[in-house]
Amino acid sequence: MGSEEDMHDANDVQSVEDDFYTGETGMGSEDDDYNFGDNYSDDSEDVTSHRQQQNYTILSEADIRQHQDENINRVSTVLSIPRYAACILLRHYNWSISRVHDEWFADEEHVRKAVGLLDRTVEISNARELTCGICFENYPCGRMSSASCGHPFCGACWRGYISTSISDGPGCLMLRCPDPSCGAAVGRNMIDVLTTGEDKEKYSRYLLRSYVEDNRKIKWCPAPGCEFAVEFVIGSGSYDVCCSCSYSFCWNCAEEAHRPVDCATVAKWILKNSAESENMNWILANSKPCPKCKRPIEKNQGCMHITCTPPCKFEFCWLCLGPWSEHGERTGGFYACNRYESAKQEGAYDESERRREMAKNSLERYTHYYERWATNQSSRQKALADLHSMQTEKLEKLSDTQSQPESQLKFIIEAWLQIVECRRVLKWTYAYGYYLPEHEHAKRQFFEYLQGEAESGLERLHQCAEKELQVYLDAEGPMTDFNDFRTKLAGLTSVTKNYFENLVRALETGLKDVGTSNNQATCSKSSSCKSLGSKSKSGKIKAVAGSSSGSGAPSRSFDDGNLWSCDRCTYANPRSTTTCQMCEHHR
Amino acid sequence: MLDVSRVQKELAECNRDTAISGVSIALHDGGSDLSRLSGTISGPVATPYEGGTFQIDIRLPSGYPFEPPKMQFVTKVWHPNISSQNGAICLDILKDQWSPALTLKTALLSLQALLSAPEPDDPQDAVVAQQYLRDHQTFMATARYWTEAFARRSSVGIEEKVQKLVEMGFPEDLVRNTLESVNGDENQALEMLCSS
Repeated sequence: MGSEEDMHDANDVQSVEDDFYTGETGMGSEDDDYNFGDNYSDDSEDVTSHRQQQNYTILSEADIRQHQDENINRVSTVLSIPRYAACILLRHYNWSISRVHDEWFADEEHVRKAVGLLDRTVEISNARELTCGICFENYPCGRMSSASCGHPFCGACWRGYISTSISDGPGCLMLRCPDPSCGAAVGRNMIDVLTTGEDKEKYSRYLLRSYVEDNRKIKWCPAPGCEFAVEFVIGSGSYDVCCSCSYSFCWNCAEEAHRPVDCATVAKWILKNSAESENMNWILANSKPCPKCKRPIEKNQGCMHITCTPPCKFEFCWLCLGPWSEHGERTGGFYACNRYESAKQEGAYDESERRREMAKNSLERYTHYYERWATNQSSRQKALADLHSMQTEKLEKLSDTQSQPESQLKFIIEAWLQIVECRRVLKWTYAYGYYLPEHEHAKRQFFEYLQGEAESGLERLHQCAEKELQVYLDAEGPMTDFNDFRTKLAGLTSVTKNYFENLVRALETGLKDVGTSNNQATCSKSSSCKSLGSKSKSGKIKAVAGSSSGSGAPSRSFDDGNLWSCDRCTYANPRSTTTCQMCEHHR
Repeated sequence: MLDVSRVQKELAECNRDTAISGVSIALHDGGSDLSRLSGTISGPVATPYEGGTFQIDIRLPSGYPFEPPKMQFVTKVWHPNISSQNGAICLDILKDQWSPALTLKTALLSLQALLSAPEPDDPQDAVVAQQYLRDHQTFMATARYWTEAFARRSSVGIEEKVQKLVEMGFPEDLVRNTLESVNGDENQALEMLCSS
């Protein structure tokens, strides 16, 4: 990952420079895209606000083309060169306007040579007839074309040349004059004149793709079939972006969004999940190789007398792996292999046994985390499907039976969106947990506490949105307690949201401020219980029961001089604040 | 689709000054398929390939001249950029550096130049390349020997015929003398050997 980070450092610098150029030339319409300086001055502790602030732009194909055209126009105007030349330059310097400018003004001649833009255009000689350099036929000069170098080729040969290059791939964007000793660039202007239909379209497609794929600030959304690209303000906090197709992914590593876990951990985890190494571990832990033919054998029952399957048919002792023929009376009887015991004492079997033991332990540990990771994954998929069916059919039905306008039922969609997001976070906390060092007991404990609380909170929300809502869906007519349900679900959503934000924050800071986060977490937890606990029938949260019974009436504000209690989440806020520190609810 | 008219022009152009250029192209096996050609280059002077005549199999893909011709040495040759096993050639203009403005003649001339100036850092045949770099003398000797043995026009195919007749039970010296006396005609030599 080291080199990756280096690259981003370089990018940061570049963004600033782009900003500079935007300002100087005064033609930038993209000031909004480069508000990177503002982002940076934010209090870096406030991760949440970073997330809420959009630090990326979703680009449709039309947007991409527009941006590309704007960039080309800018370079073309500033350098006073034709648009096709500006396009070639930009492509050569990965669509970075600042680099084009830097290089060009530093050493124009060198740049021109590198990309094949000649200083002076050489016109085709005006002889009456010219020989095409490819087919060697003679044509009147009116039927010949050439790049800026003046090497004449006939239309048919140009078409063949360009077409071959286009079918070879994106290299066609760097096309040069066919003459081997000439390096003159063949730009889009010639492509447009000399080719038609399919080739023209493909070329334009490659040009568009290049703007995204060669550009260090833009990436395609990796969701299958999605045609949006995401432009990211590098150096502006979280990499998680959400495409207009609703797919969330990490802009840095292009895996699905994985806050609060970092890209390196995710890569390790994904590799581990797909790796054969776990298979190997399993084989190592649960089988022994036949001492004769070396095939792995799993002992699933019975005595220590193992007979390998044909064609080997070797008979041996499972314990000592010695041939069974030696296991007579003199070895201490068939079922008590003392050779093993004595050999173990001598240390002969120790190493392989220990390895097997370790592999077994590590496998169990991995399985524990993997199962939970995978369960949350599938639970999220299910939630996504539920969300979809809610949006497409159920909401309408609910609106009918409960006589509520759909606009008043948004809280249900919000709840489901929250569930989907929380499942994702929770899933990744299991990868986090797997890689959290065993010996950091305090951190582990705190992490497991946070995770456990988050998980049970989420279970409650999920249960409420899934099961309790069903009652109202199935109802014949409007039910009187629907408003209570609304309060409950909205409250659960908001509290769970807060809770997960705390969890994410704690994990992203590497569980450093164990003390303070712990307080917050505890408060948040108990607050969720206080406001909602009395209604909740779910017994899943152990910590809930005690605190809720003590607090009495829910949703009641109090003011004890120094603190005020939020009437949404009951968090005790300092008097000086006007919005709840926990849920941002106004006093 | 192969540009037939261009290939015909190329053949005519190339074979006009064969004596000077030292390269020539003919239809493969005297056939009529313009996509299957046979090139000949003479070994450049002051190299271990001097005096040799090298046959090159040329296949023109349907995209020719926009796609490069496929070339391969038929004559065995000891050279770092040419496979000693199958005659495959490592030369940039036959791959990504091909341009439709190049011709078969220029390609053959490039091969000739490659014979004079091997590029052992970009080898096709690792064994030969290593020998070229580490034991230049042996390399020169081997290359010269291979030229003598395989690229001498008169010796083309002779070795095979000798081998065949020796396997029939005739002494090698006699076989060589007999073959020489009948100008390499295998059947005539066999008749003579049997009747003697």
